[in-house]
Amino acid sequence: MSEHRRFEDLVLPHLDAAYNLARWLARDTHDAEDVVQDACVRALKYVGSVHGGDARAWLLTIVRHAFYDWCRRNRPVEIARDDGSAIDAAVDHVSVGPEQAALRSSDSRTLAEAVAALPLAYREVLVLREMEELSYKDIARVLDIPVGTVMSRLARARGLLQRSPLLHAIAGRATGDGA
Amino acid sequence: MNCNEATPLVTAFADGEIDRLRGYSIRKHLDGCADCKAKYEAVLALRERLRTEVPYFVAPPGLRARVGALAEETSVAQRRVPQNSDRWRWLAGGAFAGSLATVLVWILGTAVLQSRGNVDPGLEAVAAHSRATLGQHLIQVASADQHTVKPWFLGKLDFSPPVVDLASIGFPLVGGRLDYVGGRPVAALVYQRQKHTINVFVSPEGDDRSPRDVVLAARGFNLRRWSHNGMSFWAVSDLNSNELREFVSALKQP
Repeated sequence: MSEHRRFEDLVLPHLDAAYNLARWLARDTHDAEDVVQDACVRALKYVGSVHGGDARAWLLTIVRHAFYDWCRRNRPVEIARDDGSAIDAAVDHVSVGPEQAALRSSDSRTLAEAVAALPLAYREVLVLREMEELSYKDIARVLDIPVGTVMSRLARARGLLQRSPLLHAIAGRATGDGA
Repeated sequence: MNCNEATPLVTAFADGEIDRLRGYSIRKHLDGCADCKAKYEAVLALRERLRTEVPYFVAPPGLRARVGALAEETSVAQRRVPQNSDRWRWLAGGAFAGSLATVLVWILGTAVLQSRGNVDPGLEAVAAHSRATLGQHLIQVASADQHTVKPWFLGKLDFSPPVVDLASIGFPLVGGRLDYVGGRPVAALVYQRQKHTINVFVSPEGDDRSPRDVVLAARGFNLRRWSHNGMSFWAVSDLNSNELREFVSALKQP
């Protein structure tokens, strides 16, 4: 099979997934397009080495690398601040109570904003799990971290989201109104 | 199973990552433990909200076209000769992404494209044509009336495309839409010839130096490019080259 046939069979069907990940990482339409385009140039180069079943996770891995390279060039501060290992090392003492966990907000923009406000390392694990529905194993491959770290990061990501001040303002108001 | 054992597994269980045997123990624990059950349900509730409230961004058409053209460039660079199975794949395959990428330009008649830079606008026009005819977005304003179609573009583009109906000579106008070709929004006018669709892409003349007034062929489509009154035109269709030429000459009449 020619390279470009492989590209069209393996890469193009996952272009939406590639763009969605890039869009959530870059949080900007144009930047996301640049990242995906760069990723596709790379994918084209290495498309000979991928096996069909893994194509989506493989492409998402490339998109993520392309994003981090882009980010290092354009927003170095963001990477330093959101570095995954530093974040994992920080201990979170706040536990999530069920009443906090019950998100009462019905404002969808708020939830999207809360996702966008998550630190990079948590945003990417959440997008891969909840939007792309990748298995822990595939997420571990894409992020190049152990499965155990996937689990802990995902738990933290969900915790942060459930406790997000953006959501809390709404939830608090809703409770106040109800009382 | 007690809470200490169950807690670390609850989210993984909610993610469907726990084998059936352990899943069974966790489920039993959840039935008897309100705290763990709340954690479990919080994951499901959050997931439901993420799926309904948080947007999933799909690749914009312009990006899709550029990525499709990217694959093409490579294959043009590799000087691959189109094969029959390749050539009709866009018909059989159905996936429009596939059709987009298999677009491959080769030359009819005496027209010679000197460099890849010249190929791209035509490729993009063909890609836009196949995208539109295979998808559901061929027409955004459906009208045979040029006085309906032309004003529809007002405010949507920074130029006003000339719109003429050619029903009198057998090429009725059926409508128009906005499309994205050559890195900018363009007006796409849709004409019909029996069962064949013709897309005419109109944009202000830029620095596109593609050869003018030649009929090219790509992927079983014929395409033709010309300029008139500061506007650049691409006509793309699966119509035969003679009829397309006839259509274009009619369109070029003042």
